[in-house]
Amino acid sequence: MIKKMLLSAFLSLFIIAMFCRIASAEPPVDITVSAAISLKNAFEEIGKIYESQNKGIKVMFNFGASGDLMMQIKGGAPVDVFASAALKDMDELDNAGFVLKDTRVNFATNSLVLITPMSSKIALVSFDDLKKAEVKKIAVGNPKTVPVGRYTEETFQYFKVSDMIKEKLVFAENVRQVLDYVARGEVDAGVVYSTDAMVKQQEVRIVVTTPEASHKPVVYPIAVVKSTKNEKAAKAFLSLVTSEEGRKILSKYGFKTAGQSK
Amino acid sequence: MDTLLFSLKLSLQVATVATVFVVIIGLCTSYLLARRNFPGKELLDILLTLPLVLPPTVTGYYLIVLFGRNGLLGRHLYAWTGWSIMFTWYAAVLASFVVALPLMVKTTRAALESVDEELIRASYTLGHSEFRTAMKVIFPLAKRGIFAGTVLSFARAMGEFGATLMVAGNIPGRTNTMPLAIYSAAASGDRPQAVIMVVIFTLISGIFLYAANKLTRRLI
Amino acid sequence: MGLSVSIKKKVNGFILDARWEIGDELAVLFGYSGSGKSLTLQLIAGLMKPNHGSIGLNGKTLFDSESGSNLAPQERSFGYVIQNLALFPHMTVHENILYGAHGLSRTERDQRAGVIIDRFQLAGLEKKYPAEISGGQKQRVALARALIRRPAALLLDEPFSALDNPLRVEMQNFLKEIHREFPIPIVFVTHDVFEAFAIADKIIVYVNGKIAQIGTPAEVFTRPANSDVELLVRTRNRLLQSVESAQYDATYE
Repeated sequence: MIKKMLLSAFLSLFIIAMFCRIASAEPPVDITVSAAISLKNAFEEIGKIYESQNKGIKVMFNFGASGDLMMQIKGGAPVDVFASAALKDMDELDNAGFVLKDTRVNFATNSLVLITPMSSKIALVSFDDLKKAEVKKIAVGNPKTVPVGRYTEETFQYFKVSDMIKEKLVFAENVRQVLDYVARGEVDAGVVYSTDAMVKQQEVRIVVTTPEASHKPVVYPIAVVKSTKNEKAAKAFLSLVTSEEGRKILSKYGFKTAGQSK
Repeated sequence: MDTLLFSLKLSLQVATVATVFVVIIGLCTSYLLARRNFPGKELLDILLTLPLVLPPTVTGYYLIVLFGRNGLLGRHLYAWTGWSIMFTWYAAVLASFVVALPLMVKTTRAALESVDEELIRASYTLGHSEFRTAMKVIFPLAKRGIFAGTVLSFARAMGEFGATLMVAGNIPGRTNTMPLAIYSAAASGDRPQAVIMVVIFTLISGIFLYAANKLTRRLI
Repeated sequence: MGLSVSIKKKVNGFILDARWEIGDELAVLFGYSGSGKSLTLQLIAGLMKPNHGSIGLNGKTLFDSESGSNLAPQERSFGYVIQNLALFPHMTVHENILYGAHGLSRTERDQRAGVIIDRFQLAGLEKKYPAEISGGQKQRVALARALIRRPAALLLDEPFSALDNPLRVEMQNFLKEIHREFPIPIVFVTHDVFEAFAIADKIIVYVNGKIAQIGTPAEVFTRPANSDVELLVRTRNRLLQSVESAQYDATYE
């Protein structure tokens, strides 16, 4: 008897709670932003400002390799905004009709650096030095899915070291993993964006920055995804990123934005 | 096609080597757990079971902490030999070993504990040492459980992904086992490649299970 | 020389305190179930350790709490057969018996196995598994396995309890025959009064973990030392009395 009473009391409470949730004020708005992982620190800060400026809207970030994120959107992932570290991934989505063309804009550029663990004792001053026997492992992004991996490939070809160092390459799934491998000393060298090297200044040493001619320019485009259910909120995020405020934050983390000299 | 053949061969190689270690160490450990009492026994049991309940990525993380170039154990190995296990197929074996061992230990421990204690006592009174008794009486009578544990371990080793990705990386031509190769193909949108590998992996697993069942009926 | 036992053991609140000695005779440990008889055998065999006391076989110390010596079961030369026989189900009859001949050379082993298989009427069954042979045959396999190494003494824990009467009597006779051939101390545990009387040279009566009486069957049955013992042997005495009175009636009809 007691059991029955408790059970019905519990059930009624449960139903009431559910009803309250459904009937409560406005449905909560949130937007999902899929962004290249090199944008992590900058975007997280921009996200906080966005939330304080747009009370009631939450920003959910999904960071990863641009290639992986692009595949997710293609596969129907409910994303509102996409920002990649290369034009290639955005182009692919654009051509397949997944983004709102008139929202697409390039908002930042980056440069590539060769880094080495702070504790490493190997004398490394150039890309050519990667051929040395003491350099046993080099971390790079997986060219198939990670933009920095493609840029790295281009750079290696530019410096004509590709064949000689092929066996030493360790592929990582995104640029932050490359950074982590170098920071932890698992590898002897790695290639990341200068903005990433800044994040782990104590643990990595920048050997040299790549000359512009060695790879395609690292351009970051951003766009609203066509299947968005919160077009207004998504567009607002884009505006914030390209605004004076957004650009200040991006510069803080080492990105170059439009209107800045090289 | 190259990727497919290489990753298949690598997966079989890694799984086989890992399983050999799992069986040897697993049998010793489950024997101790089944037949001896010692301080710290329950702690050992929990430690061994952890990889079963922890996500493979957590296990992978612990492996890095221990065996990475700057890891608790790895740093000494690197200091001595200039060699690190990270990003080699040995790391894949290590990852598979760690996640498959709990399966072996749990299965065989139960099998060992179910052997009639009177038979073991009889063997002692007939003059046989503990080792001989284990070899001639206990293990043969626990054959079924041992075999089941081995099959399970091999299957788990073949399918290992999370921890493997973290310690061995996904290096084409060196450490990309089939699960990793499938992941790469899928992630980069190479559907045909992914589909072929998935089908082959499923077929191989199916054949393996079939063979295992048949053997079980014949041997046991 | 014989087997001498002086042991104290406490297990889960039960206290065993036994002291006796036997020569090359068949001694029966007799008493109700739970009176400490099987425990005694396990302690003698070395499968459990007494809290206090000593055990000696033919002058060799197997256990002594004073000096701290305690030989492992493998090092005590006992043949040990329990009620469920503990035949290895995954070995043939031949393999089971050979398993008992550990430590002998291969030729010696095979030779002894051949002899004992014939002697125990197990010829033809060598390749069969325990599950495939009869109860009586299982008994003989268990005994053969225990005796092939020619142990210095034999410990039997209610080995025939699971058999029906005719077979039981057969096995009891068989055991006496074996004893004539292997005149070693035999310790036989039973709670069956008829069995005890049928085979024992000496009876050691157990009551609640203590020895109540030691003597020949005749002594124990005609002059029970106390009321406990008297209770134990009453069944047999009653039966004898009714047989006697039936004979009396028949004679004086």
